[in-house]
Amino acid sequence: MPEPATGVALNTVEVRFTGGMLALNRLLMTLQNKRMPVAGFTLGRDGEGMRATITLDCPPEQALRYTAIISALEDVTEAGPAQTVEVALLETAADWRTAAEMAGIEAHEDDGTVVATGEPEKVDDFLASLGDGIDDMVRLGPVARPEGEAGGGV
Amino acid sequence: MPFYDALPDYPLRHVLTRHEQAAAHAADGYARSTGRVGVCVATSGPGATNLVTGLATAQMDSVPLVAITGQVGRPALGKDSFQETNVMGMTLPFTKHSFLVEDPNELYPTMRRAFEIARSGRPGPVLIDVPKDVQFAATNDNGYRRLKKAPPPVESPGLERTAMLLRSAKRPLILAGHGVTLGGAEMELRLLAERTGIPVVTTLLGISAFPDDHPLYLGWPGMHGQASVNRAIDRSDLLFAVGMRFDDRITGAVHKFAKDAKVVHIDIDPSELGKVVKPTVGIAADAKAAMRSILGHLDDISEGEGCEQWREELATSQEPERRRKESVRDEYGPIQVMEAIKGTAGPNLRLVTDVGQHQMWAAQFFEFTKANSHITSGGLGTMGFALPAAMGVAFAYPDDPVWVIAGDGGIQMNIQELATIREFGLNIKVAVLNNGYLGMVRQWQQFFHNRRYSETPITGPDYERLTAAYGLSGRTVREGDSVVDAIRWANEQEGCTFLDFHIDPEANVYPMIPSGMSVNEMIEEDGA
Repeated sequence: MPEPATGVALNTVEVRFTGGMLALNRLLMTLQNKRMPVAGFTLGRDGEGMRATITLDCPPEQALRYTAIISALEDVTEAGPAQTVEVALLETAADWRTAAEMAGIEAHEDDGTVVATGEPEKVDDFLASLGDGIDDMVRLGPVARPEGEAGGGV
Repeated sequence: MPFYDALPDYPLRHVLTRHEQAAAHAADGYARSTGRVGVCVATSGPGATNLVTGLATAQMDSVPLVAITGQVGRPALGKDSFQETNVMGMTLPFTKHSFLVEDPNELYPTMRRAFEIARSGRPGPVLIDVPKDVQFAATNDNGYRRLKKAPPPVESPGLERTAMLLRSAKRPLILAGHGVTLGGAEMELRLLAERTGIPVVTTLLGISAFPDDHPLYLGWPGMHGQASVNRAIDRSDLLFAVGMRFDDRITGAVHKFAKDAKVVHIDIDPSELGKVVKPTVGIAADAKAAMRSILGHLDDISEGEGCEQWREELATSQEPERRRKESVRDEYGPIQVMEAIKGTAGPNLRLVTDVGQHQMWAAQFFEFTKANSHITSGGLGTMGFALPAAMGVAFAYPDDPVWVIAGDGGIQMNIQELATIREFGLNIKVAVLNNGYLGMVRQWQQFFHNRRYSETPITGPDYERLTAAYGLSGRTVREGDSVVDAIRWANEQEGCTFLDFHIDPEANVYPMIPSGMSVNEMIEEDGA
């Protein structure tokens, strides 16, 4: 039986690996074989090889154990916790700088559009504090970034 | 073909088993008994698929194995070619790692890397799939890339805390698993037990990690472990678990397992910590290094001074089992067979068991005083394992007596290997406990399915005539015959002999904790 989804603790794990499709196959098989509660899986490739961002829906200590399993795979060069951040693009006449500072997120203006980046809950707070002052808005959904990586626009 | 064409030019001893599954188990038996990497080879397609059970068996019990499979040539890959199969994909869930060698220049470093992966950290099986045209290609020793992973460090704040817990516990137990023998930590285990005076229990695969005849050894717990050992765990206030993974056959109902105990869990695989039982202290480290370090924190303890009252209590609790054992040792049956083998084979005996009732009887009634002298398939519970695994043991230790104990179900699953055993003149003695049933399943049917013996009665050949057909000698032994004489006769014969012991069809293994239950639901005897 897979472990039941908790729905309350999303832990993001950033995995870098080499070995192409075989390695990806092994990673996916491990997720399935160990019944990891995968809530999200994003795959990408850059100059250092392949990168998977896995969101696990389980308590943090379980996520650490799953990360150890993933880390033990020979193809995996790096596996560790990542921060989940969300980007919101909005047009507003309100004081978004003060609101961003109070919510603890990063925000800047780009060609008339405010780009707000931060943990999803904090982005929620930021948007709520602007209330009816938002003229238009798009939320891009949560993405992962390795913990400790410098902040800034995504 | 290219591999076998080149083979005679190299100083490798090749053993042609009659089935690839047996090759994997034989390599497994060699690895378990020696601590070295076992190697098996199979051809592509069905040869490769036949290895699957052997690889899964090795993976479940952390056995270092390298399996080399042939593959169709690179141009034929992905075209449903003759004897093409995706053995890599098929074995992904139960290999530690696998390689498809597509560049001949990668062959040499891949081989070396495979051996290092197989034996490093938590050992396991590694598969190397080599296309035919790569086998034909010329290549040189062109270097070796070292593994990226270093062993986990032993510097852990948990070590000192563990030492404190060991000092203060009133009813502690050491629970030692296969990781102790895999890590060559038998001496450290013994030193730790003797320094602290803490009694030792082992898992099924941990048997022989600690001498059975040592006064601190209690036995092994679990579904068919000794009742007194299960109760000792239930009463303990500290469980020092090393090189084991809290298998469900040990814990039963996890929430009731060692419910009053603090748990120290040491394992080389960090993902094992907290997987089943949440430890008070979890240490991801090699068993040998961790126990050495803990011993360093216990320098000031006088040997064996701790928990004397606890040891006395445990000794008293084991008395009824000792008396029961004494009372049945002269009755014809499985226990008498075990006693007779134990009594005649000498201290160098290496015992290889299959899976089922006999496996439990053997583990209960033998005394293992030598590391790696008890070989069995634990995690996967692979019937058919014992006979081929014993071949690996016999090749590793040609001068030691090697006994196989199997049931009449499991022995038929790889019986063809009698031909290999005969060909190589291996000195393997086989004792089959023949009850005409798949005995363990029948026992479950008796207890939990109202004796509906659905598809468990089995027939088999006349083993005396079968072994004669293979050019070997065998005997049938029934109630009224002398078990000791039969065992003695087998020991006196040159090479492999086969004893077919006809036993009570409804003999049961006791005690038994039903699956998913606790020590409180333990069944200790017929009608209980």
